[in-house]
Parts: sequence; C-alpha cells; structure tokens
Amino acid sequence: MNKMLAVARWEYLEKVKTKAFIIGLFLTPGLMIAMSVLPTLFISQEDKESKVVGVIDRSGELAFTFAQRMQERYRLSNGLSNYVIRPLAMEPGMDLEKEIADASAKAAADEIEGFCIVRGTSLADSVVEYRSKAVGDFRIAIRIEEVLKGIIAEKRIASRGLDPRLVNELAVRLDVKMVKLSKAGEREEAGFERVFFSAYLFMMALFLMIVTSGQMLVRSVIEEKSNRIVEVLVSSCSPTELMAGKVIGLSGLAFTQIGFWGLIGIAVSLQFGITIIEAGPALLLMVYFILGYLFYAAVFIGAGSPLTTEQEAQQVTSYLVMILIVPIVLAFPAMKSPDATWLKVLTYIPFLTPTMMALRIPIQMPSAWEIVATMALMLVSIFAAMVAAGRIFRIAVLSTGKSPKLAEIIRWVITG
Amino acid sequence: MLKVRNLRKEFSTVLAVDDVSFEVRRGEVFGLLGPNGAGKTTTIRMVLNILQADGGEITYDDRHFGDHTRDIVGYLPEERGLYKKSKLLDTILYFAGLRGMHHGKAKAEAYRWLKRFALLEHAGRKVEELSKGNQQKVQFITAVIHDPVLVVLDEPFSGLDPVNQILLKNILLELKQQGKAVIFSTHQMDQAEKLSDTLCLINRGRVVLGGTVRDVKKSYGKNSLHVEFDGDGAFMENLPGVQRAIMYENSAELELGPSVKPRELLPLLNAKVELRKFELLEPSLNSIFILVVGGAGESTPGKTEEVTV
Repeated sequence: MNKMLAVARWEYLEKVKTKAFIIGLFLTPGLMIAMSVLPTLFISQEDKESKVVGVIDRSGELAFTFAQRMQERYRLSNGLSNYVIRPLAMEPGMDLEKEIADASAKAAADEIEGFCIVRGTSLADSVVEYRSKAVGDFRIAIRIEEVLKGIIAEKRIASRGLDPRLVNELAVRLDVKMVKLSKAGEREEAGFERVFFSAYLFMMALFLMIVTSGQMLVRSVIEEKSNRIVEVLVSSCSPTELMAGKVIGLSGLAFTQIGFWGLIGIAVSLQFGITIIEAGPALLLMVYFILGYLFYAAVFIGAGSPLTTEQEAQQVTSYLVMILIVPIVLAFPAMKSPDATWLKVLTYIPFLTPTMMALRIPIQMPSAWEIVATMALMLVSIFAAMVAAGRIFRIAVLSTGKSPKLAEIIRWVITG
Repeated sequence: MLKVRNLRKEFSTVLAVDDVSFEVRRGEVFGLLGPNGAGKTTTIRMVLNILQADGGEITYDDRHFGDHTRDIVGYLPEERGLYKKSKLLDTILYFAGLRGMHHGKAKAEAYRWLKRFALLEHAGRKVEELSKGNQQKVQFITAVIHDPVLVVLDEPFSGLDPVNQILLKNILLELKQQGKAVIFSTHQMDQAEKLSDTLCLINRGRVVLGGTVRDVKKSYGKNSLHVEFDGDGAFMENLPGVQRAIMYENSAELELGPSVKPRELLPLLNAKVELRKFELLEPSLNSIFILVVGGAGESTPGKTEEVTV
C-alpha cells in the first residue's frame, strides 16, 4: 500500500514538473478558446475600405439600379460606401467571353474585388454569377443576392402592371430563433452554436486528457523497460503495486489538468457572462470523465506495456486516438437528432461511452436509466480492463527485445 | 542467508540456467563468475524474483521470496539506468521509499552516501547532467541505502575508473564486516580473486566450479609460474615443460608439467627477456577460468592487467 503510494507520488510529482505538462496546461485551453473565438471574430469583422465590384449585364436593365442600391445600403464605419459598383459592359450584343476575360484580368490585377455576370438578356432566366479571387467572403455574395433579388422582384411585379413598392410592403422578415427545451420543458435561451460548442468542448477536454496522460503512462513504462529500471522496481514492489501506483499518479495528473481547465472555464464564463453548462450536468460529466479516464488508463497499460519502442507506442496510441475521435466526428449528426437509436447504441460501447456522454449531455440530457446503465457498464468494464491490464503488465513489463504477438498477449490475459 | 537449490530456467529452446545450486552466508562476499552469456544475470534475476524460475528453490533464511524479502535486498542491475530527467536526491529517495524506508531516515542516509561518493554538490542536479561513472555511483547508492541484508551487484566494477573501483571495493568489504551477504557477478577474475570469500563459476548455465577461493585454487595445484619481464615473451609457450601459457602484455602465467623444475626454465627465460619477477604460486583465478571455460570467456589478456590494486 505504502509502496503503491510511493509510486503514485513519484509519477505525479515527476510529471507535473515537466515542461510538456505545464505548457499543455496553458496551451490547450488557449488553443480551444482561440479555435472557437477567432474564426467568428474574423468572419464578423467589417471591411475597412471600399471594395470595387464590376458588373457585366447583358440584360442592360440591372446594373444601374444595382450600383445605386449597393452603394447606398452598405456603408463603412466612416460613412463611405462599402462597395463601389463599376458597370463594365451593358449591351445585349456584347462579346460576353471577351468581357469576362477582361474583367478576370482586372480582378487578377486587384483593380476590382470581383465581378457579377448577368448572362440572361431578359430577366426571365436570371442566373447571376459572382466571380472573385476571394470566394470565401460569403457576406458579399449574400448582399449581392439580396439586392439583386429585390431589383428583379420589383421589375417582375412592374411588368405585371403592379406597383413595385409592394415588394417591400409584402415581404416578410422572419428569423427563426433556436430555443433549447430543458428536461422540465422550460425554455432555455441556448443557441445552436452554444450547445454545439459546449458539447464539443467537453469531448475535446476528455479526449485530450485521456490521450496526453495515456501517452505519458505508456512512455514511462517504455522508459523503465528500456533502461531496466523496471528490474529494480519489481524487485522492490509487486507489479500490481507498481501498476496501481502509476494509474493513481497519472490520474492525479489528469485531474489536476481538468481542474485547472475547469477553473479557466468558470473564469471565462463569469467574465463574459456565458454559462457553458449548469452545475448538475457538469457534475455528471465529471463522473463520466473519471470513469472514462480510469477505463482508458487500463487500456493504455494493457496495450502499451508489451511495447518496447517509442515508435510502436505512437502507433498504438494513434489507434486509440481513432476510437476516441469517433464521437467528435459524430457531433454534427448528433446535434440534428439527439434521439437517434444509433446514438444510443454507440453509447453502450465502453470505449465510446464517456465521450458519447460528453457529447449527449450538453445537447439533451439522457434518461436516468440510461445514465445508471452506462455507469454500471463502465464500472464493470473498468474492473475487467484493470484485471486484464494487470495480467499483461505483470509479464510484459519484464519482456524486452521483440514485442510479443497479439496471440501471446491474449493468452496472458486468459491464463492470468 | 540465501540458499539456491537446483535452479533451472529455460528460454524457449535455450537452457539458460541448468541445475545451479549455491549458498551465501551473512558476512560473506560471494562471487558469481562466468563468461558473458553464462547465465549469471538470469540467476540473479531469479534470486530477486524478477524472473520466475522453471525449477528449483530459492530461500532467504529458510523462507521464500515475499513482501518481507523485498525490503531486505538491494540490487544493482547490470544494465544501468535511472530516470534521466529527475534530480539526484529525488531519485535516491524514491528508490529508498520503494524499499519501505522512512522518508526522514532516507534523506539523512542519502546525504551520507552522496558525501561519501563526493556527489553532495550534485544532489539537486538532474541525473542526465552527470557523467556515466557518477550515474553508476548514484545507482549503487539506491542499491544499498536501505541497509539491505542481501546486496546483489551485477557487474559492479564495469565502467568505474581505478580510483572508484578501490572506493567500491572498500565499501563491499565494509558491507561484509557489517554482516551483510554480498553477491557480485563479474567476468574479471582479478576482482573476484581479491574480493570474494566463496565463488561459483558458471559456464553455459551450469556450475563448473564452486567453493571458497582457497579451496578452488588449491584443487588446481601449486605449479604455476608467474613471470614479469621486458621484451617479447611469445616464445614462452613453446618452452619445454610448459603445458600452457597465459600471456599478458608484460607478464605471463606458465603452467608447468608435474615433474618440471622451475629453475631449469630460469636460464631459458633470462636469455631472451629482462626478467623482473619469477615466482611459483597457486594458479590465478584467471588461469583457472580460462582452463575451465576453455578460453571462451571474454577475459582477454591485457584486460585483466587494467587494474592492479
């Protein structure tokens, strides 16, 4: 018992002091915040100066109104027009291909930001193209579409002899607001982004925690095997004490990490007034984190202790990463249909249970019996995995040279 | 203290240790000798319960290996290794703790040993910043800090300079005086000869010689001529009456036939080389080793001459 704690203490203190751990402690939340905040910052950023947009209009009817409305409606913060529209060609008889080639050259030379092409000579077949070097700027496309839609609609209404102003009067402005219903049926102002973001955040945190400390676990076993420290270790304590000590020590490490990230999370949400998750689900998630961590600790030991080189360890780790990443890939479909049967089925695969729960809890709280069932499943799985890992570890920790074959490892597990 | 009876270990098809028996008492230095690959390390690993024996019995004061044994043995493995990134003192304290040593006592002992090995100033440094020899000293400390009854040292002298070899030798003799049982393995026979009270020579997994050093030597007679000289001694092997010659750089050990008189050889030797020493002695362990193992050992001439203490 004392020796197990000595091992745990050593593993914890030696790893907690490493640069890799300290960097990870700060870098991971930093990256996660950067990943979630920066893109929206970039997207919603307003233009700083006017953009010149060319128009090639075979119908000859659109270009002027379009230019006028674009320039009036969208303005920069200093009051200038956001877009300067330059009609390039407007006669129905133009050489379209030549005009397009000219305009392309202008765009390439950064004379214009991009250009619209109205191919139809009449407005009956209105296909409008927007060509630009920066097609990622979808805001400009949305604005062009909106303005052109209005103009075309007005012209069509006018051609039927009605008053074009009707368009504005009859148009319905509608925004569908996403409202998440909590269990009690209470309204909860949660946007799609927020639910998605928090589900994603918890999965990533669990994923990173398992992978980093799992890797540390495997690496420390391999180091001890390769420099034969393990001989001294197993002559001073039993392999079971050694393994248990390692699991406890590295668990301490993982929970230090999670605790620290949690504090950052609380600080961030207090600062910006966002609740990422309520206390109840957070505690529940915590339990799944611990269960998931312990299960994977056993898996990493079982899979890692027979290995003899870092390269092999990386290979095995990458397989485990692939399993762990499945729920992250499924985040989108899960958001769309949180009640899907396949989602529930996947939750009962022990390798996926914790991450699936980390995904499901923020989206829609699973029923009580599901929570009880998955926790029971995890406890049984942890027990089985620890026993199996212990059997492998006991033998594998002393084997050097060639890594044993899978069949051999399975035999160790069965014969114990 | 330690009794090993009919120990056996098989690795897939190779019989690494075959029917090995020996006994180590308190206050005794026991040399486990043999060429590389003879089975020394495998035997040691079984003694320390690192490997499971396929047959035979190992007892410590008539008890089998168990939790009580773990804290009374100390072990220096042949392949040296410590946690490179960890600090010296931390490392020593960790291993002491693993042997069930109380933290406060471990700290005091650690300082005492570090001082003795002139490593005190490095106590706060990382292991990787030390020289190989110093790392080895640290590892030796981890093997003895908890005051074990049985100290097992696998090739303790390899990699140490002559000064530190003397230091280590003195410490081993001290441990012996304190009543500890010391096992050390080596393939350097001169070390074994100077240090061990009893020995066991293993070759290809089997015990080929065993007993006290004196008995072993006596059983090989007293007809070994030790000479030291300047000049080319290659001719000595072919002198009449010399059954076998073990040549070193500037000395030789000549095994004489039963009826050969040393003084008959003296003029023959004198004629060709400048003699500095001419002495009739028991054969050295080295020559016995070469005789028994058949020269298959690693102990090449010249290497044994490295250190004269």
